[in-house]
Amino acid sequence: MIVCVAVVGHQNNPLYIQSFTEADDALKLHHIVHCSLDVVDERVNNPKRSGPMLNETFLGLLYPIENFKVYGYLTNTKVKFILVTTDLDVKDADVRNFFRRFHAAYVDAVSNPFHVPGKKITSRTFAERVSTIVKSFGFSSAG
Amino acid sequence: MATIDPLMTPLGQMLLEEITPVVMLISTPSVEEASLKNGLSFLQTLTPFCSFDNIDVPVRTASDQPYRLHKFKLRLFYASDVKRPDLKVAKEQLKQVITEAGEKEFPDSSSDLPEINLELSSSSEYQNTPSWFRFLNKELVRVASFSDHEAFDHPVICLLAVSSKDEQPINRFVEFFNTDKLPSLFNDGAMDPKISKHYLLVHDNQDGPADRASRILTEMRSTFGTNDCSLLCINSSVDAPFKHQDNPWASYITDSSSTPSQGLGCFLNMGDIDEIKVLMQDLSSKHIIPSMEQKIRILNQQVSATRKGFKNQIKNLWWRKGKEDGADSLSGPAYNFNSIESQIRVLGDYAFMLRDYELALSNYRLISTDYKIDKAWKRYAGVQEMMGLTYFILDQSRKEAEYCMENAFNTYLKLGSLGQLNATRCGLWWIGMLKARDQYKEAATVYFRICGEDILHSAVMLEQASYCYLLSKPSMLRKYGFHVVLSGEQYKKCDQIKHAIRTYRSALSVFRGTTWSYINDHVHFHIGQWYASLGMYDVAVKHMTEILSCSHQSKTTQELFLGDFLQIVEKTGRTYEVTKLQLPVINISTLRVIYEDFRTFGSPSAANTRESLWRSLEEEMLPSFSAAKTNWLELQSKLILKKHSQNVCVAGESVKVTIEFKNPLQISIPISSVTLVCKYSASTDQVISNEIESSMEKDNKVDHFRNMSSDNSSFMVSEVDFLLGGGETTMIELSVTPKEEGTLEIIGVRWKLSGTIVGFYNFELGQPKKNIKGRKTKDLPNEKFKFMVIKSIPKLQGSVHPLPGKAYAGDLRQLVLELRNPSEFPVKNLKMKISHPRFLIIGKQETVMSEFPACLRKKTDSVQSDLHANPNITSNTVFLFPEGTSVQGETPFLWPLWFRAAVPGDISLCMSIYYEMGDVSSIIKYRTLRLHYNVQVLPSLDVSFQICPFRSSLEEFLVRLDVVNKTSSESFQVCQLSSVGHQWEISLVQAPDSIFPSQSLMASQAISCFFTLKKSRRLPTFGDNMSTLPVRSNARLVPQSIEDIVYDINSAPLVNFHHYERLQQEVSYKGDLNTVDFVLISCPFKSSDDPGFSNPSSVMSHHACHFSTASTGPISWLVDGPQTMHHDFSASFCEISMKMHIHNSSGATAFVRIDTLDSAGNGGHMNSVNVVQSATTDNQAGWHDITPVNELKVTSNALETQPGKALSLESASSYIWSGSSSTHLHIEAMSSAEIPLQICVFSPGTYDLSNYVLNWKLPSNGQGDRDEKKQHSGQCQGYKYYLTVLQST
Repeated sequence: MIVCVAVVGHQNNPLYIQSFTEADDALKLHHIVHCSLDVVDERVNNPKRSGPMLNETFLGLLYPIENFKVYGYLTNTKVKFILVTTDLDVKDADVRNFFRRFHAAYVDAVSNPFHVPGKKITSRTFAERVSTIVKSFGFSSAG
Repeated sequence: MATIDPLMTPLGQMLLEEITPVVMLISTPSVEEASLKNGLSFLQTLTPFCSFDNIDVPVRTASDQPYRLHKFKLRLFYASDVKRPDLKVAKEQLKQVITEAGEKEFPDSSSDLPEINLELSSSSEYQNTPSWFRFLNKELVRVASFSDHEAFDHPVICLLAVSSKDEQPINRFVEFFNTDKLPSLFNDGAMDPKISKHYLLVHDNQDGPADRASRILTEMRSTFGTNDCSLLCINSSVDAPFKHQDNPWASYITDSSSTPSQGLGCFLNMGDIDEIKVLMQDLSSKHIIPSMEQKIRILNQQVSATRKGFKNQIKNLWWRKGKEDGADSLSGPAYNFNSIESQIRVLGDYAFMLRDYELALSNYRLISTDYKIDKAWKRYAGVQEMMGLTYFILDQSRKEAEYCMENAFNTYLKLGSLGQLNATRCGLWWIGMLKARDQYKEAATVYFRICGEDILHSAVMLEQASYCYLLSKPSMLRKYGFHVVLSGEQYKKCDQIKHAIRTYRSALSVFRGTTWSYINDHVHFHIGQWYASLGMYDVAVKHMTEILSCSHQSKTTQELFLGDFLQIVEKTGRTYEVTKLQLPVINISTLRVIYEDFRTFGSPSAANTRESLWRSLEEEMLPSFSAAKTNWLELQSKLILKKHSQNVCVAGESVKVTIEFKNPLQISIPISSVTLVCKYSASTDQVISNEIESSMEKDNKVDHFRNMSSDNSSFMVSEVDFLLGGGETTMIELSVTPKEEGTLEIIGVRWKLSGTIVGFYNFELGQPKKNIKGRKTKDLPNEKFKFMVIKSIPKLQGSVHPLPGKAYAGDLRQLVLELRNPSEFPVKNLKMKISHPRFLIIGKQETVMSEFPACLRKKTDSVQSDLHANPNITSNTVFLFPEGTSVQGETPFLWPLWFRAAVPGDISLCMSIYYEMGDVSSIIKYRTLRLHYNVQVLPSLDVSFQICPFRSSLEEFLVRLDVVNKTSSESFQVCQLSSVGHQWEISLVQAPDSIFPSQSLMASQAISCFFTLKKSRRLPTFGDNMSTLPVRSNARLVPQSIEDIVYDINSAPLVNFHHYERLQQEVSYKGDLNTVDFVLISCPFKSSDDPGFSNPSSVMSHHACHFSTASTGPISWLVDGPQTMHHDFSASFCEISMKMHIHNSSGATAFVRIDTLDSAGNGGHMNSVNVVQSATTDNQAGWHDITPVNELKVTSNALETQPGKALSLESASSYIWSGSSSTHLHIEAMSSAEIPLQICVFSPGTYDLSNYVLNWKLPSNGQGDRDEKKQHSGQCQGYKYYLTVLQST
């Protein structure tokens, strides 16, 4: 199950954080997402990958913490997408697929002329779309 | 990195100190007594001399190559301490250490937040991490010592100390070996009890000469052997306490805060110390090292014999297998000291201690597999641990080393509580290893894994982990922050509040300035809470204020934050003052300062109106403008406002500041005592006050504010209280009223939140860079809030009443302008100007008392038109009140005004009244009073007119009036329609009763009625002063019986309003004499009872102007002839004569040509029934023009411009024009001409005589070119004129 998704701007400012748990753990998830930025930075600054992987936006598993796994994705505009999930065996393809759809939703949201770049995403449509994507996570490639 | 000797790393140093031979010390009470004279136990006395930097001992272990040891260290323990430390005691001790460290490291509350210095962190971890960590870690390692599964803590030698004072010293030595006194390690078989011993006789020189001691020593030597006995004389400094330059014991006594370190070893002189040194050196070089060497050699031989070689290995394997199903306990089988496994371990550890790491490693490897097969997990883990360390020191294989450490660590963890301490130790070593290789990130994860169930323990570990993240390259600041917060949380759980605060504060440095508000709030909130729990309310409040405007949090969280904050503030027991309180949020961009210098405002709305609007309005009235223009040489000093760029305000008159307060929370907050903070100085000199201010800037702001607010003798500030609901925004108006002359400066605003906490806001500091909208934008920002206070001068107060807020369009009212002057000085030279003369005009004094609307009615027909003939008196100019008008005292000055709601919409009316001071000598010579009113005008009647000429006679027109009531509820009575125009006279076509059966126009009802408009007969002849005197004529629309009144539209307000309406509705062409204006007078029907209209209006006028009677051009004509004729066609064709009257309504002579057309079948035949049929039944192919039937009928009334092609398709022309086919004539201006026309008809029928064209031309003059083209020349089709010719019988 996806616990949390987040969009973080290129100055590492949170643009959108949404948790999908009932529990009151917003703070914890904020912390986890915030921490994961360190790993994103590390990945971006020390690219061990080369060749065809150079332009890859998907950063893969950032780190496991407690019961969570954190995945990352970096757009060309240095906007980061973070995914926190409780599933311990997640297929990379699923996550990739998720991020691809999430990216599309994000692009649509920021294309709104009323959206101020660098400000929080407040679009309700975006939130709805994200929650749909989150709900369908894991079924897309299986089904 | 690779070049660093592993032994030089912190871990290497630690291993050299910690994994060293243990000397077990057993002493008699009298020995202790003797040494306690120095404030030291005997062990402590010896300890400083147990580490040797340059012992230089040759060592030969298993190999034949000897090597030399330089550094060596012994660890001394009392026999009673040679056991596993008590866990509880150890824990207590650790807790103590942590608590003490907490006290010591607790940050100064006034200090700033720690900055993370990345430069520094790159240099060394020791500079950045708190030092007590190292101590704590050492303690943690020590707690795990003296385990039975490892041999390096096993004593290698026993040092027996007996005092020379003791009775029977020899016996005492023997007694020491009573087994019950020995540590459990010896008794339970983990260790060989046959330990080598060294016998030491201690002599206290204070007890007398050493004779007896030497005697005993001889005895000892004979009993125990010469080599194993020695004598130590101490306390030689008998008389005076010996002062040591640098006390060797000081650094070893850690827990003795009670005894001063100076007193340590006070009776030990240099000789004694030398003696101790020699003793210890001899002990290690002559006894310990050789005995260890020997043991290594023996064990090595044994091991080689039993375990080395292929044969032995096979045997071992087989033997192990057989034993497999044996002991399966958690700790594995017990190994006796003389079991081969134990011996291998001892061999390894001895070799390790003597730094023969190769030998150690080979033995550890050998034993490791055995333990693994035996499932002796703890021992296995212990061996793995040592293997890892050996690999590390040998710097051989990093991978191996790490693998071993991880293996050991995991194995210890698997053991559960049994292995916890060892796991911690192992983890710390592992971390040391990783740190030595700069693998801080990995080290951090190990720290994270060390965190056990013990909360305090994990708190410390988490904090250390966080430092590792900080030290890693590149620094992982966010992880640092996260772990620091985690550790703070744990500290909090075990009541280490100070540690918790410290950690959270360091976390702040990470999160400060970021937009991660949830985390920021959490950190600030908890720091605040914890400081409060420590009673440090000031700092607590400081942190709590950071989180007050947390609009992103949920309502409950906001309540919690605010509640806690207020509670803390309450606990401080005073009203707390904060310079930048976040609650409520002040929207500085809405800040407006309203003050009155020469401009005064009648209402707040007047002040809010744009300054430029007022300026343009007042331009003509103000003398300074013209004065500045007339002579630029004139000294500008007279214009005081130019010289002082400073703002001027008048004593006794308030300066108002409006500013917006916003509550970002969802809960409502009470705000009270909102006042302006002002500074007053009696000096009017600007320069000096500036200097004062700049020096004040440096002062503490809070104090500064406090001083300001208390000093209010020379000005008065208003106070506002209000409650801001959740998410609300309120505009607050504050005012300050200076009482004396001087300089007044508005500094900021202060308010009280919830009655306890006072917030300040400094306007200038909060001012954005750009100049905000307001008065005098050219001024410097600080000039904006600075005022020169001048002494009191008169100020007019004025109002217009009763000006309705709402009115229906057309509403006409009489208003009164009332001016008062409360001051004792009179004002004079009053002038006034109004922005919208279409809505508001100034009346005449004598009409003040006249009754309305009766004054509008026509009284007699006598003098009316000449009196009010000139409406241009007030147009667009300043109205000057009569000479000598002076306003003073209580009696109001009244002046009538007329209001008419001209067009629907929201209208803002501006009035400016200029006046000059009477006798006051002030820098302000004149003032203006600005009045501003908003009127909402609702649509009422929608009036439209249509004019078309009568076909029956020239100069007569049919006027159609359409009136629609646009209101939703109101009914109106239409009273009168008047026409205003040159020579026009209007009259009703129908009787009024038939138009308005109900006498009123209901809501959304529409009516049409028709009038005739014709040239007035009673007018003077052509050529009189026609252009100046428009003529009014009225048509009453109400039955005469109801009200016998006629409104005189030539009376004062109506004619003026009409003038402005004309100007407003003006079309391009001026001076057209054929235009006519209409004025419709109506009044609301009496049933109206709308509360919105306080004073129902009685008269409404609607003006429609510039209706041209000449719809197609200046030429109008009329064909005059018979309609029906009887003729006997059998006799001859019929000749019919007609006349055409042509009228030139333009102001110039017109040239007209009439062309009659009868060729090409253009004369239509006539039978309209036939025409329609032919048009519809004709079904030829292809495109052709079909004239719609309907259109024909409808437009028949109007000018027919269609040549009627469809009509002429088949029929031949059945009439011809006879007489001239083209006639030219000149028609003088405003005159008529008559032309005869003649046609011939050949058969009976109905004929349309529209087959002619009028071409007209006006002489074009220069200026005429600019007018519209159609005015110069044009062509008019003839209009339909039906003539029916019948066969006469």
